[in-house]
Amino acid sequence: MRAGYYPKLALEGIRKNRRMYLPYLFTCIAMVAMYYIISFLQDGGMTAALPLGSETVREMMRFGGNIMAFFSCIFLFYTNSFLIRRRKKEFGLYNILGMGKRNIARILFWESLFILLLSLSGGLLLGIILSKAAELGLFNLMGYQVSYRLSVSVSGVYMTALVFGVIFVLLFFNALRQVRFSSAMALLQSENAGEKPPKANWLLGFLGLALLGGAYYISATIEDPITALAAFFGAVLMVIAGTYLTMISGSVMFCRILQRRRKYYYRPEHFVSVASMKYRMKRNGAGLASICILATMVLVILSATTCLYFGGEDVLRTRYPREINFSMRAKYAKALSDEVLEPVWESIDTAARQQGASMEQQYRCRSAIITGLLQDGTVECDVTKVRNAVTFSDVVQFYFVPLADYNAITGAKESLASGEALICGSRAEEIGETLEFRNGSRFQVKGRAEEIFPEELVPEMTVVVADLETALEGLNALADFNGDAMLSFQWNVNFDTGLEKEEQMALSESLSALALPEDCTSVCRSREWERQDFYSLFGGLFYLGILLSIVFVFAAVLIIYYKQISEGYEDQARFEIMQNVGMTKREIRKSINSQLLTVFFLPLGLAALHLCFAFPIIRKLMLLFQLNNVRLYLLTTLLSVIAFALFYTLIYRVTSNAYYHIVSGAKEKRES
Amino acid sequence: MQILEVSGLKKTYAGRLGCHPVTALKNVNFSVEEGEYIAIMGESGSGKTTLLNILAALDHPTGGRVILDGRDLSEIKESAMAAFRRDNLGFVFQEFNLLDTFTLEDNIYLPLVLAGHLYRDMYQRLIPIAARLGITDILKKYPYEVSGGQKQRAAVARAMITKPKLILADEPTGALDSRASDELLRLFAEVNTLGQTILMVTHSVKAASTANRVLFIRDGEVFHQIYRGADSGEAFYQKISDTLILLATGGKQA
Repeated sequence: MRAGYYPKLALEGIRKNRRMYLPYLFTCIAMVAMYYIISFLQDGGMTAALPLGSETVREMMRFGGNIMAFFSCIFLFYTNSFLIRRRKKEFGLYNILGMGKRNIARILFWESLFILLLSLSGGLLLGIILSKAAELGLFNLMGYQVSYRLSVSVSGVYMTALVFGVIFVLLFFNALRQVRFSSAMALLQSENAGEKPPKANWLLGFLGLALLGGAYYISATIEDPITALAAFFGAVLMVIAGTYLTMISGSVMFCRILQRRRKYYYRPEHFVSVASMKYRMKRNGAGLASICILATMVLVILSATTCLYFGGEDVLRTRYPREINFSMRAKYAKALSDEVLEPVWESIDTAARQQGASMEQQYRCRSAIITGLLQDGTVECDVTKVRNAVTFSDVVQFYFVPLADYNAITGAKESLASGEALICGSRAEEIGETLEFRNGSRFQVKGRAEEIFPEELVPEMTVVVADLETALEGLNALADFNGDAMLSFQWNVNFDTGLEKEEQMALSESLSALALPEDCTSVCRSREWERQDFYSLFGGLFYLGILLSIVFVFAAVLIIYYKQISEGYEDQARFEIMQNVGMTKREIRKSINSQLLTVFFLPLGLAALHLCFAFPIIRKLMLLFQLNNVRLYLLTTLLSVIAFALFYTLIYRVTSNAYYHIVSGAKEKRES
Repeated sequence: MQILEVSGLKKTYAGRLGCHPVTALKNVNFSVEEGEYIAIMGESGSGKTTLLNILAALDHPTGGRVILDGRDLSEIKESAMAAFRRDNLGFVFQEFNLLDTFTLEDNIYLPLVLAGHLYRDMYQRLIPIAARLGITDILKKYPYEVSGGQKQRAAVARAMITKPKLILADEPTGALDSRASDELLRLFAEVNTLGQTILMVTHSVKAASTANRVLFIRDGEVFHQIYRGADSGEAFYQKISDTLILLATGGKQA
């Protein structure tokens, strides 16, 4: 045979099945383009222009790129299986006409090569064109200006070609495997194989429901962010597994229950729908579950990242109520004495005034910090026990603050006797009338204090005492493994400057370099610096969220499309029989419509349910970023759901048209 | 009592651009009495299937009339047609046309469910029919789990359960082996003796020989018809094949 023969056959095959191949090709192109864009953004040369946080962005894009590669692989395998199922018949025919499996393999090879080349060239071209827009978008979100020069990332092109080359090689071998292990007749009939009535697997169905219920329970009852973080991935896996099991077995189970209720089942409006639903669910349960999970992912990612991004200013205000935040730490109590602190304050004041800072909203707070386990209202500070804490949620940081500083900061006029304390913090309710430490120190709780520290990840408790030195006598002896004291001492100096961004950052830098007393360390943060750092993190995260959402939506659309198409071909025959048996076209259309609607909006409904139950746990996770704005999160969630639902409905209209086209097209062809 | 009257039936398919129109039925006249069992024979392309489609109201004639149980099919509105078909006609197809999503029982119920019957009523109708057709034990099975003959018997049950005026059968033995064919034909004859009117289109002389009357169609016209009368099955078989030979060799109308 001539050399050009196989490529021609392969091209012909793609052309003939274009209803199946075109969407596949588009998806490949979109995936390639998306992967290129992400690797373009992680390419050092591009993001080096960023003054700050370029490493964060690159790290994040690398992470996103890995997700993309993994997802592309799984997803292309899934869609490819649709193609192979339809092509098998053709291969069976070639086989019968005398073509060996080797020859078919050659056709397959050329086919894969064509698709790969088309996807790579199309995708890279699209990617390069869009990458500038992507870069502009990213820099814009992060609050930077960027040049408008178009550039190509060589390493990005290389990486993309490599990743998709590998995926296509895997796809090719998978197709080969499928063709090799089936006989000609099996190939010919493969499309009609497996018309077994679905058996509901009660065990799997209930397991699915149990998994979902368990994951929902975890999310709804979780208390603190650290546990939430630990439980989150487990819960996600449970939801994924639960969704698959429920959709595959549970839905068949549900249809069977409906069928047993004769009064319901034997009605014209339910009879055909319920029976065909059962089949649909069996065949497409997995597809529907995938759609549902993709939809959930899109919704979670979109709502969370938009919330983080737009809640950024909130976070900054909570974490840094004042512009300049200087803190000094020491291991010995003397560091907090006036003799030590006074000179430091002098130099801070001088440095700030030199920069022209207005020094408003001054906040100076001495504190002694110890970590302990809060259990049953008493505190265990023994280092071994703290280290071996079973649950992180019991670990609490205690901040002892002298009354003088507290009164100065809050403007209160409290007075305390020795041994008395004012407390506040997320777990203050658990303390009764006395705050007792296991080693004997105890404080009479006189009342609630105002919160004077920004919320931290580890639950903290502020304990305002009359005088630090006398209050800490009992705790001074505690030591950690190195023999150092458990107590550490901190002095926070915060104030507003009324300065411009750059001057603020410069001041912060000069304060970091301040000469300190012996054995002290210090950090100084300006809100402005934090803001840039924050936006490079959350801008990047938000951006990645959008990119991944686009990819997942693409995937969901494609799954829906293939589902509709393949069901359309299957339903052609059924449609005809029903008409022969005396159903009117309108009845058939109505029945099909109700099935399509159910099958279509079931995943969306379940995704919305997932999202509802994910809400509490994600809210807790956002506390990790110190974002505690429920209303904003609720708003972004609602908006994401609405936007997605609208888009989904649009897809429904388009794809169900394709479905009707196939179902009714066959009928007309037969009659003409 | 006359149950079906076909007079002057004509069907022409409009040709595509540049092609001549094709005449499938030229002028078909015949009538069916209640309780008759009629076979229609003819070569491929003689117009059998077209005739059956028109009788089943799946297709409209170009000219002529079909009167079923006193009602002119052309006067029934399109919207009422499906219901009319459901109530008055039963169908048996060569390829069974059972829905693979239903058990045999549910397949049989389909026309009744569409007509809004209650389960109890449907079940009571099914018991005697299923017993007669010998499918009582397999009612809960799905089409793919049973043999072709069993599928066809379920299809017959589906055609009978609406108590139709007329059962139309299109090559009912076409997809069956000889044993299943014999069994089905025996059932047809049996059902017929109970008063069910049957009209069957077939290629098979054997199938036709179980009928009371055979119509031969050639070139869109009823070319000839023979009655079984008092003939035995074998004698009638002989008569039919003689007529077919005559037809094939181009004899004049008898």
